[in-house]
Amino acid sequence: MLIIGERINVITKTQREAMQKRDKGPIQEMAKNQVRCGAGMLDINIGPAEDDGEGLMDWMVKTVQEVAHVPLCLDTTNPAAMEAGLKAHDNTWGRAMINSASGEEERLNCMMPLAGKYNSLIIGLTLNKQGIPALAEDRCAIAAEIMGKAAECGVPMEDIYLDPLIMPVPFSQEKSLESIRAIRMFKELNDPPMKTVVGLSNISNGAPKELRPLLNRVYTALLMYEGLDSAIIDPLELEMIQVIKTTDILMGKTLYAHSYLEM
Amino acid sequence: MAFVVPKDTYNGRVFEVEIGTGAKAVKIGGENTLPFLTFEGEVPNMPVIAHEIQDVLPEDWPETVQAAYKDVSGDPVKWAKHCQDNLGAQVIALRLLGTHPDRQDRSPEDAAKTVSDVLAAIDVPLIILGSNHAEKDAQVLRAACDAAKDRNCLIGKAQEANYKTIVAAAMASGHKIIAMSDLDVNLAKQLNILITQMGFDKEKIMTDPMSSALGYGIEYTYSVMERIRAASLNQNDATMSPPIVNDIGMYVWKVKETMASESDLPAWGSLEERAIGWESTTAVGLMMAGSDLLIMRHPKAIETVRKVVAELA
Amino acid sequence: MALSGVEIFKHLPKTNCKKCGFPTCLAFAMKLAAKQASLDVCPDASEEAKSFLGAASEPPIRGITIGVGDKALKVGEETVLFRHEKKFVHPCGFALAIKDTDSDAEIDAKAKSVEESEIERVGQHLRVELVSVLNMSNDPAKFAAAVARVAAAAPSAGIILATENPASVEAAMTHVSGKKPLICGANAENVEAMVNLAKYAGASLAVRGDGIDAVVELTEKVVGMGFKDIVIDTGCRKAKDMVEQYTQIRRAAVKKGFKPLGFPVITCAFNDDPYMEQALASVAIAKYASIIVLSDISKWKTLALMSLRQNIYTDPQVPMQVGQNVYKVGDAKPDSPLMITTNFSLTYFIVLGEVENSKVPSWLAVMDVEGLSVLTAWAAGKFTAAKIAQFIQESGVENSVSHKELVIPGYVAVLSGALEDKLPGWKITVGPREANALPAFLKNKAASA
Repeated sequence: MLIIGERINVITKTQREAMQKRDKGPIQEMAKNQVRCGAGMLDINIGPAEDDGEGLMDWMVKTVQEVAHVPLCLDTTNPAAMEAGLKAHDNTWGRAMINSASGEEERLNCMMPLAGKYNSLIIGLTLNKQGIPALAEDRCAIAAEIMGKAAECGVPMEDIYLDPLIMPVPFSQEKSLESIRAIRMFKELNDPPMKTVVGLSNISNGAPKELRPLLNRVYTALLMYEGLDSAIIDPLELEMIQVIKTTDILMGKTLYAHSYLEM
Repeated sequence: MAFVVPKDTYNGRVFEVEIGTGAKAVKIGGENTLPFLTFEGEVPNMPVIAHEIQDVLPEDWPETVQAAYKDVSGDPVKWAKHCQDNLGAQVIALRLLGTHPDRQDRSPEDAAKTVSDVLAAIDVPLIILGSNHAEKDAQVLRAACDAAKDRNCLIGKAQEANYKTIVAAAMASGHKIIAMSDLDVNLAKQLNILITQMGFDKEKIMTDPMSSALGYGIEYTYSVMERIRAASLNQNDATMSPPIVNDIGMYVWKVKETMASESDLPAWGSLEERAIGWESTTAVGLMMAGSDLLIMRHPKAIETVRKVVAELA
Repeated sequence: MALSGVEIFKHLPKTNCKKCGFPTCLAFAMKLAAKQASLDVCPDASEEAKSFLGAASEPPIRGITIGVGDKALKVGEETVLFRHEKKFVHPCGFALAIKDTDSDAEIDAKAKSVEESEIERVGQHLRVELVSVLNMSNDPAKFAAAVARVAAAAPSAGIILATENPASVEAAMTHVSGKKPLICGANAENVEAMVNLAKYAGASLAVRGDGIDAVVELTEKVVGMGFKDIVIDTGCRKAKDMVEQYTQIRRAAVKKGFKPLGFPVITCAFNDDPYMEQALASVAIAKYASIIVLSDISKWKTLALMSLRQNIYTDPQVPMQVGQNVYKVGDAKPDSPLMITTNFSLTYFIVLGEVENSKVPSWLAVMDVEGLSVLTAWAAGKFTAAKIAQFIQESGVENSVSHKELVIPGYVAVLSGALEDKLPGWKITVGPREANALPAFLKNKAASA
């Protein structure tokens, strides 16, 4: 499964301050650590970045790729910043991913054409103006719209990563299962099956600190079983990486050897 | 309905491993698609065949294949030159069978001398094989590695019981390694992991899944190979991406079909053709499953396999 | 290959009427894709939707039978590309080509060699199943005569009428009436005539085109004429083309559900060099051909090909086994050594081979442990002291062996004490762990006896 590292974001104090001061150190340190722990892609979350978003995104992409030779997941709602990031992205190690488009018309209409223009991958959140649908089937209906727009913009189905959106189990326990069902249904929307992604840690949002890792790990295994292709997680959490490797083995996606955890 | 060629896309590729030095060095592997499917990928190197010779007279080889080398097989140097100069061998595999404790029990030093003598006589790459006695092989191959320094040989075989010594020796003298496990894809992966954890470059290994003769387990080898190749190409599993080597002569020329006379078994037809065909069919079958390097004995079987390789290019 | 929800959705009314019990047509389509619902519950489904979905549930490669009776050959119905995914379903068939321009004596001899081609290997009967009569003369009468000769001399073989001349097919038909021959075959010019002949004769029909696209056009035409018992020949005769084209065809049929290629493949491995013909046939066996025509079936050549076919088509989940018995190896006498091993065919062959290599005549008792190797059988509780004792006692071995010493495989040395208890009067000797040490062991035993 593709691991997208989530640790470079505006919410974390050290990272946010580094971004504000244009201080490479903490950002590059975190980038290298995440890759070392198994991240195949790094999420670069600069937030809405209303103040010089383009400059910031350009600087972030170059700073991170200077030391981390992986593709980046560009995480912002600012379309100009998104475009700046796509322009600056070095595709040597893989194409960039737009995080994200959604079923909400305005967002879909400004982000999807960028994927077509820059030949990038793109995450499609299956929510719309009315919010996150209750049923997996309704998420599929939004997915179908996203896929329709993609076809219009010349974006291949293989480049879309559908995200069913995860609701925290402390507040909406009954919804946890629905997101898992949605992953299974998304896969069936096309041949070859559509790709999927989730922002994992939301499942444990609001739970006591010591419970969060456990909830995250088990939920990951369940989602992987239904066909999750990638997840935005903290790669530095060793036990999570071990669960991912073990699930890949149990599902026959990686060939078994006694030393599989060391690979 | 229009036919669209169904192309698969792959995430990984087989490593390209070079053996030998100078103009006659040979590259093995490097493909990024299933065997010979150039319509959807690249096959930079076609399968290579190595001629097998031994350090002692091959008295236990069936008559059909002994006869092919009767004038040269008493002297490994003569034998090697014959294969290179007269039979067009691209690679030679020297099996140090004489070092087996149940055979002549030759010493590592004597074996090393044979290696040096053979190397002095040829310029094609050399594969150096032990007698398949785990403990003795560790000493013999260590001595052989040293004697063969600077010639970039392929040393085999490192197995679970003896890989540490052999890998260390190969690392010290800059050789490539054959890693062999018992017809099990997971064990094959584990051995490659253990070898790389010693610091040995994963791109200097070749995987020997343990070959079997046609009619005597070839399908086990065949499927292990297909699964190894799938892990490499579909799962981008670097530990399963070394090229695959099949040492088939030693398994083929033990079976009844290469020895029983036509008078004993009329339903089996002519012995000589049957035996040669048994070796070439084993080779062709395994090439379909992904063999990158084949170690073979009979010149006529080798000639046939070469023709097939030419037709597959 | 499954149809996706979106593909099915395209054929639904898209009214979201909910009569099927699902909230939307898209939701219903997903259920259909997962085979968790049936199209029957949609009252407004069109005829087109019904036939579309019906076609999607047929096997990806049509099953074709050539010949009748217990020696009939069935091919096709394959579902995978790799034998480790799932057993290949029907082993391919071999055909010997006989020219109608051969002399009568030659035709008789060749047909007879097919009739007598059967050998036994690991409990299975392997043979050359078919004869392909080639209409080299293009003369219907000569062709019919040749077919008649072949049918008489090789009554068990299925017949391929290899001609592109409909008149020749018509002439020869009477001699294979009711015998489900294969007509080989139809091309762009004669396809209508050939289809009619095939329907009339109850035969299957091979279509020959130059390359995959030409074959696709032809099969679509033939299916359009209401005939589906098709075998396909893309005309390739070289190893590279076979590997590429037959892989593409198998993939298209099995992974993409591409119906125009959902038929078994026939090929020819002809080559003047017999080793090359054997090699080409080997390529074809491994790479998805269903019928392989050979120019010659010398015993040495077909032994290897039948073994390779047997090996490739073995069920990877079910080990090959030999029959439980006490086998005589060489000129064994009552005082010759008696050894025991398991009935996994590989174990049997390897042990037998080493015993033969030793040149020490012996008795080899092979016990049925459902095809497991020695260690596996022991671990699974099938090769225990009690069971071995029972086998020996019931085997009637006393009729052949005068002594009471049993050599057991080295890997189950732990059983020797318990075995001596259960076989009173018997001496248990522990043999080597590896079969390749048997010659030395047996020679030492003979020397010290």
